[in-house]
Amino acid sequence: MSVLEYVWAGVLAVIAGPAAFEIFGLGVPITVLMVFGGFVIGIVGGATPGLAGPFLMAVSLPILLSIFGFTPDALLPVLGFLVGVMKGATVGGAVPAILFNTPGTPDAMLTTFDGYPMAQKGQAGKALRTAHFASVSGDTFSDIVLFTCAPFLAIAVEAYLGFGEKAALILLSLAFVAAVVGASPMKGMIAAFFGLFVAAIATGEDSYPRLTFETDFLANGVPLITAVLGVLILGEVLYAFEQMWRDRRVEKIKEVQQEGDQRLTWAERKRLFPYISVSALIGTGIGALPGIGSTLAATLGYATGDRMHKGPVKFGDGTPEGVAATEAANSSVSGANLIPVLSLGIPGNVGAVFLILAAESIGGFNPGPGVFRFTTSEVNPELVIAFGLFTAMMLANIMNWIIGGRIMAACGVMSRIPKQVLLPIVLLLTLTAIYVQETDFNAFYFAFAFAILGYLMRKLKVPTLPFVIAFILAGNLETSIRQAFAVSGGDSWFLFKSPLSILFLLIAVGVIIFFSRPKKPAANKAIAAERDS
Amino acid sequence: MLDRKTEIWVALICLLAGLLTAILWVPFDSETPPIYDFRRQTYIGDAMLPMVAALGIAVCALVHLLLSWRRKVTEADGPFDKLTAAFFLCLFAIIIAAFVVMYWAGPVALALFGPSGEEAATYRQMRSTVPWKYIGFVSGGFILVFGITSLLEGSMRWKRALSSILAIVVLIVIFDLPFDTILLPPNGDF
Repeated sequence: MSVLEYVWAGVLAVIAGPAAFEIFGLGVPITVLMVFGGFVIGIVGGATPGLAGPFLMAVSLPILLSIFGFTPDALLPVLGFLVGVMKGATVGGAVPAILFNTPGTPDAMLTTFDGYPMAQKGQAGKALRTAHFASVSGDTFSDIVLFTCAPFLAIAVEAYLGFGEKAALILLSLAFVAAVVGASPMKGMIAAFFGLFVAAIATGEDSYPRLTFETDFLANGVPLITAVLGVLILGEVLYAFEQMWRDRRVEKIKEVQQEGDQRLTWAERKRLFPYISVSALIGTGIGALPGIGSTLAATLGYATGDRMHKGPVKFGDGTPEGVAATEAANSSVSGANLIPVLSLGIPGNVGAVFLILAAESIGGFNPGPGVFRFTTSEVNPELVIAFGLFTAMMLANIMNWIIGGRIMAACGVMSRIPKQVLLPIVLLLTLTAIYVQETDFNAFYFAFAFAILGYLMRKLKVPTLPFVIAFILAGNLETSIRQAFAVSGGDSWFLFKSPLSILFLLIAVGVIIFFSRPKKPAANKAIAAERDS
Repeated sequence: MLDRKTEIWVALICLLAGLLTAILWVPFDSETPPIYDFRRQTYIGDAMLPMVAALGIAVCALVHLLLSWRRKVTEADGPFDKLTAAFFLCLFAIIIAAFVVMYWAGPVALALFGPSGEEAATYRQMRSTVPWKYIGFVSGGFILVFGITSLLEGSMRWKRALSSILAIVVLIVIFDLPFDTILLPPNGDF
């Protein structure tokens, strides 16, 4: 098959795939339906403070696996749904930020700076439209960069890297994520090593399952999805419970009468374009690096926009340019975040973690450099799935352009659900999702053990993301190291035999030393919060 | 960053745990050592990954200990206090109660109110039939959601009881009604 035939096969796998139902004799493809469902749920969840894209993806994944099973046919509907959620949540986060000064997602914090003052001036509709236009523009740009860059990067990795270099690259990625996430690189490294250790329980090549104390409870290993949900979601829920119990206050929401023209004219869109373009470039660049969150992208986009701005209303006083600069930057992170996933098999953020988990659970698609093998003699089904995933992302973008703004506007009501009501429901929802996957009460004990671990990590300011990423990558890392060692003929210096792997390891050490130097106080609260998280 | 004293404690605990794991747990609980020879070939054994991970934790903890030691003394509240303990005592009491009720409510209800005599059935036989399959999930789920909401708000309100029931009904609609193969908790255990 030629390159174009692979692309077309991917498109057809989505738009001409199995039909969910028929309308007037025309089948509605299940993947398209799932992308739409995920997109709507993503916007609604993003607009609900306390929920966010990763929450929704985490809870949906076990349900989707139960519905679609573990056959290759399940890949595109499940991945399509998760992609829809990811994209929907990105735009939805702006709704409560603009209407109620409460960011729905952490990266929408800076949207409150101008979005909320606009709403206070009676321009909430215009602010929402600006946020939607900027967000969807940034997201689309980022996706186009992903589609063009990921295959080339993957081909280069596959062509030039051997087992040793791949192991060194995984170590570099882990070191990078550990160093840039959180306040202390050493704590990030401790979390990453701990993730590797937990993943080692009951795995390995010998007949005896290692590190199990010969118990049946541990003999099957640590359930992957339960552990990830426990640390990322339930740990956050326990942490939030304690904060709410300490705060115990109810904020009253003040209604402001909206007035004037709420539309966003073409002239206004044209005026926003330079801000959106610059922020999209910043967000895409930052998103391509694993571990760096969208909050940093939003902050840099906002600061750059502030420097460019010459208008009568300053940034921070309620100007559409401020909303556009922030939203374009944080939304353009999401597509680029998938570059390390698809080209290297390394998840760079929490959303990507769930895409990898879905692919690993279902099987038949292993995100990484091996996906982009353009074989001509026989069809590479993983490549068809990859282009199907790109098609699903583009579909979500098209839905976002057409109806995203309207759904956003209708989601304001979600911001009124009190967190103390919502989070206990999220707890039960997560536990139920885990149970339908495992059908065993023991899964709850695992889930709570990891929830307590996640809570302790948050309290002690040890970042959770390096733990989860190391936990997921441990199997690949061990396999690469074993293979590299075998190929080297049992040479203890097998990781230092090629210049490229030495370079990767030196960069890993350099990154850790660089980020370990004393930091200046962060310029704004959002960055400080992300550093400390 | 946390205060200096807490950071030092975190580093010390991780250092100790890492060393003990690398020296005691990993070698005694793995079949093959980190490196071993078999038929004149050298292999990486099952102990390699966990030992590297444990030693990595110890080394990073040592560096963190030295860095924290050099920091200026800062006065700040520690991450945990009596309130933390009190809160988690209440929270886990609710969670344990919810789990116990969720697990046993169905079988107990069946034993008390189910068919008896020749028609008597085990819970396993009835776990997919209405109303038995919902009893554990609804009662345990209600204790979990309503109990935690009340704990967080410091009061019990009828409105919250209704919203908890509504949430559970929505979960049943999402998970149970559309699918025959999915079992709500705790029905898969029977």
